Amino acid sequence: MAAPLLQLDKATIRFGGLTAVNSVDFTVGEDELVGLIGPNGAGKTTVFNLMTGVYQPTDGTITFNGTPIAGLRVNEIVDLGIARTFQNIRLFGSLSVFDNVRVACNLHRATSPIQALIRGKSFRADEAAITKRAEELLDIFNLRRFRDAPSKSLPYGEQRRLEIVRCLATKPKLLLLDEPAAGMNPTEKIELVRLIQQVQKQFNLSILLVEHSMKVVMGVCQRIAVLDYGVKIAEGNPAQIQSDKKVIEAYLGEDHQTALSHH
Amino acid sequence: MTTQSESLNSQPSTLNFPLSEFLQQLLNGLSLGAIYALIALGYTMVYGVLRFINFAHSDVFMVGSFIGYYAGKHVPERTYWGGLLVLVVAMLGCALLGMLIERLCYRRLRGSATLNVLITAIGVSLLLEYSGQVFFGATPRTFPDIFPSTNFAFGSLVISSNQILVIVVATLLMVALQLIVYRTKIGTAMRAVSLNPKAAQLVGVNNDIVISFTFGLGSALAAAGGILYAINYPSIDPLMGVMPGLKAFVAAVLGGIGNIPGAALGGLLLGTVETFVNGSQWSTYKDAIAFAILIGILLFRPAGLLGKFTVEKV
Amino acid sequence: MSLRFPPSPNSRHGTFRIRVYPCPSVVKNSGSPTIPVPRPHLYLLAALLVALGISQFSDRIDPYFLDVIIGIGINIILAVSLNLVNGYTGQFSLGHAGFMSVGAYLAAAVSLFLGPKILGEAGGTALQQGLMFLAALVAGGLGAAFAGLIVGVPSLRLKGDYLALVTLGFGEIIRVVFQNVEFLGGALGLNGIPAYTTIFWVLAFVALSVFVVTCLVHSTYGRGFLATHDDEIASESVGLNTTRYKIVAFVIGAFFAGTAGGLYGHFKMTITPTGFDFTKSIEIVVMVILGGMGNTLGVILAAILLTLLPELLRPIAEYRMIIYSLMLIILMLVRPQGLFNFKFGKAKL
Repeated sequence: MAAPLLQLDKATIRFGGLTAVNSVDFTVGEDELVGLIGPNGAGKTTVFNLMTGVYQPTDGTITFNGTPIAGLRVNEIVDLGIARTFQNIRLFGSLSVFDNVRVACNLHRATSPIQALIRGKSFRADEAAITKRAEELLDIFNLRRFRDAPSKSLPYGEQRRLEIVRCLATKPKLLLLDEPAAGMNPTEKIELVRLIQQVQKQFNLSILLVEHSMKVVMGVCQRIAVLDYGVKIAEGNPAQIQSDKKVIEAYLGEDHQTALSHH
Repeated sequence: MTTQSESLNSQPSTLNFPLSEFLQQLLNGLSLGAIYALIALGYTMVYGVLRFINFAHSDVFMVGSFIGYYAGKHVPERTYWGGLLVLVVAMLGCALLGMLIERLCYRRLRGSATLNVLITAIGVSLLLEYSGQVFFGATPRTFPDIFPSTNFAFGSLVISSNQILVIVVATLLMVALQLIVYRTKIGTAMRAVSLNPKAAQLVGVNNDIVISFTFGLGSALAAAGGILYAINYPSIDPLMGVMPGLKAFVAAVLGGIGNIPGAALGGLLLGTVETFVNGSQWSTYKDAIAFAILIGILLFRPAGLLGKFTVEKV
Repeated sequence: MSLRFPPSPNSRHGTFRIRVYPCPSVVKNSGSPTIPVPRPHLYLLAALLVALGISQFSDRIDPYFLDVIIGIGINIILAVSLNLVNGYTGQFSLGHAGFMSVGAYLAAAVSLFLGPKILGEAGGTALQQGLMFLAALVAGGLGAAFAGLIVGVPSLRLKGDYLALVTLGFGEIIRVVFQNVEFLGGALGLNGIPAYTTIFWVLAFVALSVFVVTCLVHSTYGRGFLATHDDEIASESVGLNTTRYKIVAFVIGAFFAGTAGGLYGHFKMTITPTGFDFTKSIEIVVMVILGGMGNTLGVILAAILLTLLPELLRPIAEYRMIIYSLMLIILMLVRPQGLFNFKFGKAKL
């Protein structure tokens, strides 16, 4: 059996006396769509920050595609193939929609400031390729009509989509989505579920989804892991998670056993 | 005993007795440091409530000296009551000035980009300096002897009454400030605004009044610093605030900006270090020392000696 | 215009006020060129030719007027290069005068100490002098760029106010060091620097600095500067090395500050450490802010205006600095986005 794409092995991080993530074992396989859920403050975003190099684990290892990522810079991990979105959208507000995508096209790392000044043949070829790729991406996600608008002027739902498109421009193997449904109405959530499925199929990648909305998580994830107080308390398919006692307790306390499935 | 009014750094010191020379420098350093501390408190308080560097603070310090200069002409020289009266007048005048600056310039910029506020502060600073040059004249003036001054000699150690005055007045003011901040209602409000301005407003604190008060308080302390500085370095001019201001700011950062005891500690440390450097063969580098300390502290302990460092949340 | 209700309080833009956003579909195409500036080198060449052309007539131009133009040119170079750091990359440097002084001293030292050895007693032909000057300017620029690297690497871990202070501190330290180096004249500075600076050299370097900054920013590589400005964490998360971007901006900015210093020294023929104190840095920062951060054209206009202003106010010399500072305050209060930034947000050249 091939090694999983992403593997957390006893990943732990402590901030002073607080253990935010405690010895979490967790994997994401090729082409898998995994959910990571848990009550507020369970450490989900912290896990994301560990995977993307924002924080360094105090203990344990994280391996991506066979490479241990400890000590790498955030941008180096992106080069390996992990891209992420943020809970509170982080677009480049003053750049146009188009430039938000272009700046993320990782072809450009072939060019340098010197080449940008000389503007030789390879530079122009790179620029043209980047422009083409960015336009294709905008077309796929129906964002072309906003091409030259400043990204901060987009409607909220489109900003979320643009953030995902920007991630795809880096050609990731694994896409981390941090609460993409936050602030969305039910119709938008349905669209989001469709979008996530489309992205996974069309771009052949694995997706790890942190989400509060059970509708979204249960709708798209093949497998779900549950965190509570930095510890993984359950893992399984949506049906198993919905009926898991520990999970229900963590979310609702002991008296509301049925509420989760009705959410 | 001799009566003379000399600058701190030109105090006679003999090289024969290293220990007494050390004590002499330490004393000189502490009295210079006490002045830096008084100015630093204003920077640190304003940074605490508004999170910006009030560049104009150093010029409020200068205005304090000039108010003292003019007020000093109307009181008998070399009397304690006269000197204290001048001190109080300068403090009140500068408190008003500080509040006026806040009301007219900074209040409208609350919540704007750091850079814009900083440039406005620099604008106010330049305005005060150049207005000073027009109205007070650019040539240095001699500050009157408003306090009685004597020198006490213990062997080769010379202590001037002015140095003692500086340390005593500065200490009293800092104790008073500590009482205001921790024992009064307005002080509690100041601390609340500094921790979370929005939450403070929600529980009924009037932020405008608190910020205005903070400026008044900080400016009054700067004025006191200005008078004490002028007593020891009696030549005053409209640009006199620039260097002490920058150094006091370094002191505030050194102690941990936004932290009141930190500013006092930073001021004393900086004054002492600078005086020792000034007495050594590296004296021509004394202005660089403050900045070297600033850079060092920002790179290795950005929160300062007594501050807490916070990281941006992702 | 369309009314949009605010997103959830979770979002970054989540305020509880209704804001009016321009409807994106009617936002005019801002014309982001697909292939940015087709042949920028032609513009540079043309600009250099124009500079050469103007310099042929320089002896017919009123000397006072010529001096003012040279002063404007030097300030444009300073402001445009600082704009790369403070405007486009969003860092906050208050030490530009420090880099300028490194360039000024180094270039002056090359002309004063190496010049006579290479050119001989006679002083060489005009062409030889020109090449000598070019070498001096490049040396000054490289020296300043090196200083930029030394300052940049440790400082760029810091942000905002703190970065401003560290750069200010470095600038002041450079000044104190120059005051103490006897070889470079100490506090008296260097005198008798040959007057090599002509209108040609100034215009040529103005063109070069504008070319470099514009070309950089209008490339996929260069958009990384803008991305770094907007959001460092997001930039890292799309694979940009923000530290490297910041250092590149710092080094290029310092290079041009250095050449501007070299031009300044060979124009005034005398330089002192106090001429490059933090007031000078502030003056350049003000040009950048007034021009509208990250807007090269605006910054050029601001540099022109702020160089002319003291000249225009000369009749009321006593009050001119008061007027200058008052204007600064009023501008910040009523037009915080800069005088020449007509589009709020990012403006393009």
